[in-house]
Amino acid sequence: MVSASNKKTRRNYSRYRFLVQTIAFLIILLNPFANYYLGINFVQGWYQSLGIGNLWFVSPLEGLESILVSKLIYLPLIIGMTIPILLALFLGRVFCSWICPINYFSEILDRIRRFLFRKKFIKDRIVLPKFLLWFALIGELLLTMILGAPIFVWLSPPGLVGREIMMAVFFRTLAIEGLVIIIVLTLNLITRRFYCRYLCPLGGLLAFLGSKRKLVVEHESQCKKCGMCSKICPLGLDPLNGESSSSYCWNCGECVDICPDQSLNFRWHSGQLNQTSCLQAQSDIPPQDEL
Amino acid sequence: MSQKFHLEKPDHIRRTLLKGTLAFTLLAATKVSAKPLFSSPVTMNRLRPPGAVPEDIFAGKCIRCGRCVEVCPYHSIIPLDARAGVYAGTPLIFAEQVPCYLCMKCVQVCPTGTLQNISQEETRMGLAVIEKYSCITWRGEALCRTCYNVCPFKEKAIHLDQLRPVIDEKYCTGCGLCTHGCPITVSPGKKAINIEPLFAQARVKW
Repeated sequence: MVSASNKKTRRNYSRYRFLVQTIAFLIILLNPFANYYLGINFVQGWYQSLGIGNLWFVSPLEGLESILVSKLIYLPLIIGMTIPILLALFLGRVFCSWICPINYFSEILDRIRRFLFRKKFIKDRIVLPKFLLWFALIGELLLTMILGAPIFVWLSPPGLVGREIMMAVFFRTLAIEGLVIIIVLTLNLITRRFYCRYLCPLGGLLAFLGSKRKLVVEHESQCKKCGMCSKICPLGLDPLNGESSSSYCWNCGECVDICPDQSLNFRWHSGQLNQTSCLQAQSDIPPQDEL
Repeated sequence: MSQKFHLEKPDHIRRTLLKGTLAFTLLAATKVSAKPLFSSPVTMNRLRPPGAVPEDIFAGKCIRCGRCVEVCPYHSIIPLDARAGVYAGTPLIFAEQVPCYLCMKCVQVCPTGTLQNISQEETRMGLAVIEKYSCITWRGEALCRTCYNVCPFKEKAIHLDQLRPVIDEKYCTGCGLCTHGCPITVSPGKKAINIEPLFAQARVKW
């Protein structure tokens, strides 16, 4: 009886996410065709800077690099960065999980792997400390300032996807830097989202902005500690440990979907984040050190 | 005694030292090997789109979003690839192939101010320079005035002086229409009238 009622109210964030990702990818896939063949310029660009009519979005890291290197403030740039920054401040790294085309490809890859090997969970072979993400962000910003030219703006995998599509449509050729996409996707075979977890400076910046976010995945009391959530998490986080409210979580909702007891849920926080809610509730588990 | 000291040395210090050395070596190697990759692609007939900031800060300011490339109705603007070093991904106009028609769409979509929103007349992508030893009109072999005919600021930027074209640097926008139209090809990429990107070399004061 219980399982039947559970099935009825099963959450389907994964399906919604896949839909949003598909729409987001279709925008950058179809837009070059519209620009080139139909001359429709209403939408321009991709996920480095996207212009929809007069509404501009600029990726925060690219904008930050541009400001740091040129030491000039340009108001439209700041305004274009506002919406992505606000999104990250309130919702966390949702760009990464719900929009980024690299994650979209990775999820398709995961689906194929799950289908081929008939496994529900994919194992991570190399697990590194999560704080490498901050080193990636700081190192990238430092390298940018040393070279005097932004590196990530040219080699950012989400941006490269858009650029390669545009190059293919406009010039019927592919740029050599597209190899970065293939490398990033291949790293998924070692560890799911290896690049997103440890190396992506944009993810690092968005995680930093979202460290005090309002929308978090949280525990409720009926948890049976089956551990499914930590197995399904594409970033290798453990929601049982309170890591779902840490800054690394990108609010994809995979753990919420898989939880058989429905004890995980998205919560809109108005106050301070309570990072060890589960551990406090269940005092029989000795508190573990955070990584 | 000294050996014992070495044995007691904490392992993480050695690891940090090794990592530091590796990082330094890599950085130094990049700096040395990447030197030719720091030279600007802007030369004769290789121009930035209208309103571009000087080359000094162009690579730093441009975020390679490609919106100017997508919006250009004549497909004049071409993004550079990895061979351009730090300038990879930045927009460039190959003036003798497809010139800029000064529609000023790109300056309206640039999100970073790398292409500043300016009017047609204010555009200074470069300056047209006639090579008088190659121009058939100046050599006195024919009465060609293609550059005069195609110029969008006829009688201002180019006027005819005793039937020979003369540039006025006060009005020339450097759009490259004259280069594109010129029937004389001196060498690959070079016509009898060429655009010299003089203004791209300006220095920026912080």
